[in-house]
Amino acid sequence: MTEREILDDLQQIIGHVLDKSDLCIDGNTTASDVDGWNSLTNMQIISDTESHFKIKFKLREIIKLKNVGDFCKIIQDKLDSK
Amino acid sequence: MEFLTIPCICLILITFVLYYLTKSLLWQRLILLAASVIFISYYHIAFLAVALSIALFSFYAGKAIHKYKDTAKTSWLLASSIVLLVGTWLFFRYCSSLFPLGISFYTFQALSYLIEVYWDDEDVEDNLLDFLLYMLLFMKFLSGPIERGFDFLPQLKKVHTISYKKITEGIRMTGIGVFMKVVIADRLGPHLDSIFNTVRDASGLQLLESTLLYPIQLYADFAGYTCLAIGIGTIFGFKISSNFNRPFVSLTTGELWRRWHMSLSFWVRDYIFVPLTASFRSWGKWGIYCSLIITFVVLGAWHGAGWTFIIYGLIQGIIIIYETAAKKYRDRVQHSMNKNVCSFFSIIRTYVLFAVSLLFFRIDKIGDVFYTISHLFRGYNASWSELRIGMSDYNWEILGVALLLLFIYEYVNSKRNVFSLLDRCPVVVRWCIYYLFLFSLFIFGCFGVENFIYIQF
Repeated sequence: MTEREILDDLQQIIGHVLDKSDLCIDGNTTASDVDGWNSLTNMQIISDTESHFKIKFKLREIIKLKNVGDFCKIIQDKLDSK
Repeated sequence: MEFLTIPCICLILITFVLYYLTKSLLWQRLILLAASVIFISYYHIAFLAVALSIALFSFYAGKAIHKYKDTAKTSWLLASSIVLLVGTWLFFRYCSSLFPLGISFYTFQALSYLIEVYWDDEDVEDNLLDFLLYMLLFMKFLSGPIERGFDFLPQLKKVHTISYKKITEGIRMTGIGVFMKVVIADRLGPHLDSIFNTVRDASGLQLLESTLLYPIQLYADFAGYTCLAIGIGTIFGFKISSNFNRPFVSLTTGELWRRWHMSLSFWVRDYIFVPLTASFRSWGKWGIYCSLIITFVVLGAWHGAGWTFIIYGLIQGIIIIYETAAKKYRDRVQHSMNKNVCSFFSIIRTYVLFAVSLLFFRIDKIGDVFYTISHLFRGYNASWSELRIGMSDYNWEILGVALLLLFIYEYVNSKRNVFSLLDRCPVVVRWCIYYLFLFSLFIFGCFGVENFIYIQF
């Protein structure tokens, strides 16, 4: 999968969890940029992402995520190593 | 040594002069450490011994965790360090007649430092002097804010030169803190204490009134303390984290906890809630709910022994679970109403729920809390003198004006920096405002109330 495709899928997942069909994100987007993306919804986004891409994140990886770009990169690394 | 006492003011002034007289980083650190040691041991030499022991232990534990990074030993080292630090805190909290002041705050700082070193999010600190200052620095020692190592330790690595801008900023912030403490919190404190200490002698209206006023007293007291810590820190060239961000405009309890005692809220979020939700994420929403309950019970228990604090935390968790579960329904209601009206009612609802839950925080006996809640709407034939809960009309007027000024200041400050606006005023106007403010503090302040509420935690 390309980074663009991962980003599109992530946009859908995050939009679905936050109930925002018109959500638009890019690699620099952080949780604080998106209304409703907080510590309560974050883990639901992580969990849905894991189910969607059939991957599993470690706690340390989750904690180190700073923005959507980091998120895409870690997904791509996991998909590549599958 | 309380902030608002002559010995403390003398200590700060002497430290200030010596600190800025030297251009040596080592001497600046030593002067601050000496001031912190005097500040802590002024209360009790044992407090200093405990704080120093915990700081030294954390420093060497951090080094060991870093040394054995990427080996099986590192997890064991972190786990045993956490057990030892939490165990020490629990011992002093529940089994000892001596409770070292500030221990809850610096233990949390030590835990966050060790976890960050373990997670590799923070470089291990090699300089013992800097680490001791991170743990013991006098302006944040008693009640925080709980600083993170990666925010605070780099600030100790450079010489701080005297800056007119920083000193004036610090003094102004200190002034706001003193205003909140002596004009608002200490004006209300004795009267609310007399009601809450004898709830069975108070009428329903007095209980209701005190319940609704207590969050304001607690806020003015604790945010006042935080402003003092930030202000004194700024004078010495440090940027200390903010603990409050207009909590009473929160639309939900979840939002309130992102605005109230932020250094503690974010601590429990990062080191308890996030790891728990990550572990429970296969449970879906129930995992989040479970994590919320555990996190807030821990947050409640952090405040002290007894069921009242556990229930206080539990209530916060339950309300946030309700808010999360009913989000779609609440959004629908919001869309069907005028936005401003909806926000107004949400603010009131959040405030009232918080005020009632704080009864478990404020009143020692659980029976008295339930008595208070069950009598909030009884005995409304109170006279005007009862309604005043022992405060004179003059005090009510001062309190009203002070609160209005505080909320206006906070509102304006949320849009534009009030201090920058003040800087742009002509010098004569600015100094008139300073003198007016200073005289108001002396005229309207209630001096003589000893402690800050959060010092007991």
